Amino acid sequence: MEGEALGPSAGLNHDGAPAKMSVAKLSAFYGKKKAVSDVSLSFRENSVTAIIGPSGCGKSTLIRCLNRMHEVSPGGRVEGQVLLDGEDIYTQDPVTVRRRIGMVFQKPNPFPTMSVYDNVAAGLRLNGVRKREVLDAAVLRSLKQAALWDEVKESVHGSGNRLSGGQQQRLCIARALAIEPEVILMDEPCSALDPIATAKIEDLIFDLQKSYTVVIVTHNMQQAARVAEYTAFMYLGELIEYDRTKKIFEQPAQKLTENYITGRFG
Amino acid sequence: MPTAVERKALSEALDRLNENMRTMSELAVLAIRKAVQALEKGRSHDADEVFTLDEEIYGLKHKIEQSCIELIALYAPVATDLRTITASLEITTDLDRIGRYSKDIAEAAEKLRGMSRESLGKVGNLTRMADLTIQMIETSVNAFAQRQADPVRDIVRTDDAIDTLHDEVFQELVEKMTDQSVAPRVGAQYILINRYFERLADHAVNIGLDVIYMITAERPIKAKHRDSTPHGAAAGPSVPPGEPS
Repeated sequence: MEGEALGPSAGLNHDGAPAKMSVAKLSAFYGKKKAVSDVSLSFRENSVTAIIGPSGCGKSTLIRCLNRMHEVSPGGRVEGQVLLDGEDIYTQDPVTVRRRIGMVFQKPNPFPTMSVYDNVAAGLRLNGVRKREVLDAAVLRSLKQAALWDEVKESVHGSGNRLSGGQQQRLCIARALAIEPEVILMDEPCSALDPIATAKIEDLIFDLQKSYTVVIVTHNMQQAARVAEYTAFMYLGELIEYDRTKKIFEQPAQKLTENYITGRFG
Repeated sequence: MPTAVERKALSEALDRLNENMRTMSELAVLAIRKAVQALEKGRSHDADEVFTLDEEIYGLKHKIEQSCIELIALYAPVATDLRTITASLEITTDLDRIGRYSKDIAEAAEKLRGMSRESLGKVGNLTRMADLTIQMIETSVNAFAQRQADPVRDIVRTDDAIDTLHDEVFQELVEKMTDQSVAPRVGAQYILINRYFERLADHAVNIGLDVIYMITAERPIKAKHRDSTPHGAAAGPSVPPGEPS
C-alpha cells in the first residue's frame, strides 16, 4: 500500500515537539466490516491536525476511536492502541477519557430544553460541580474562549436553541471546553454552517490550539489549509499520507493524495 | 476536493494557459534569433520584426498574468496545478525580459548599422555567446513545454560558461578600443550587447529553475540579478541543492 511510505509508526517527526496523542496500528470495525485499517500516526501537542479524505474513507470513524466513541456504535470494535500522554485510553475508564478528550459534532446539538448557561455548565454538573461561583466562572471562561460571550452575555439564561447555527456550534464548543479537556476532536464542525459562521469557527479553532490539541475532520480542503498545521489523508480506511499541511498541498508525496486534492479522483 | 465540474473547468483553463505559455515561449525564442540576425546581417527589417515581437510578448505577459490570477481566485489550486500556475507567472516575467533584451540588441544593431561597423566575427566570443544564450533559452522553454526537469538541471553550469565568456568579450573589447582597432562608439555598443546576452542567459536559468520547481517542487535558489554588481563581481546564481558547485 502507498501509505507504507510513511514508515511503521507513520512517524511524522513534529520537529522534536512532543506528541499529545498517538495511534498505533489502529483498526476499527463495524461488525465484520473494517472501516479503519492499521493506522498509525501521532498528534502534536498544541496544534491543529486535519484529517481529510473522500466520504467513507474512515476519517470520522478514526476520530471517534480517539475518545472511545466508536465502541458505542452498533458492532463497533477497535484493535490497536490510542495513547494519550503515552497511556492507552482503552485501558482507562471511558468517561474519564471523554472528559480529557472532548468532541464537537457535525451538526450543532445544544441540549434543546436548556439555557445557554445550563448547556455550558452541563458537563461540569455531570461531574458533580455544584458551587455557583465555580460554575459561573467556568461558563464565562468557556463562552469567552468559544468567542460567543459578547453575543450572548445579555441572554445567557435564554434558550440555546434560539441561537443561530454558527452560534449553536460555538455553544457546543464552549460546552466541550467547560470541562477543560486536553484534546478537542471536531467532526466536520462547519459543514452545516454558512461562510461567515464558518470563518468564526475557523478563527476559534486557530486560537484554541494555543491551549489545546485539536484534531479536525473536514471535507473542506481549504479549511484544512487555513487552520491545520498537519494534515492526514485517508483513503479506503488507510492512512495514505501524513505531513505538514503546506507540504501536503504543495508537494504531496503520494499520487493518491495529489489526485484527491486536485480533484482528479475516481 | 474540487468537484468534477470544477476540475473540468480548471483543466480546460490550464490547457489554455499552457497554450499561451507555449506561444509566448516561441515568440521569445524568435525575438532573440531575429535580434542576432539583425546584428549579424545588419538588416533593418529583422530589427523591426524584433520590435513587433517584443510588443506581442508584452501583451501576452499581461494576458497570462490575468489568467493566472483568475485561476487562483476561482479554483484555489493546489499541488501540481498550483506549481504550474506560479511557475507560469514567474516564467512570463523572464520571457518578457527576453523580449525586452532582444529589442535592446536590435536597437544596438540599428545603431551599429549607421557606423563604420566592425563585423561581429571580429569579436569571436560574442558569436559563441549568442549561440550559447539562444541554446540555453531554447533548452529552458522546451523543458517547460515538455514538463521535463532533467534537461535544465545543468543550466546553472552553462550559465557559468556564459559568465566567463562575458568577461572575456569585455576584456577583448576594451583591448580593441585601447589599440583603436575598434572605434569607441562601436565598442561601447558591443559592450552593451555583451551585457544583454549575459542577462538573457540569467533569465534562461530562472526559467530552468522554475521548471524544476514546477515538476519536482524543489525550490532551487533563483538567479540573482547582477545589474547592480560591479563588472566582474559575478554574483552568479546559487547552485541548487544537490548540485555540485
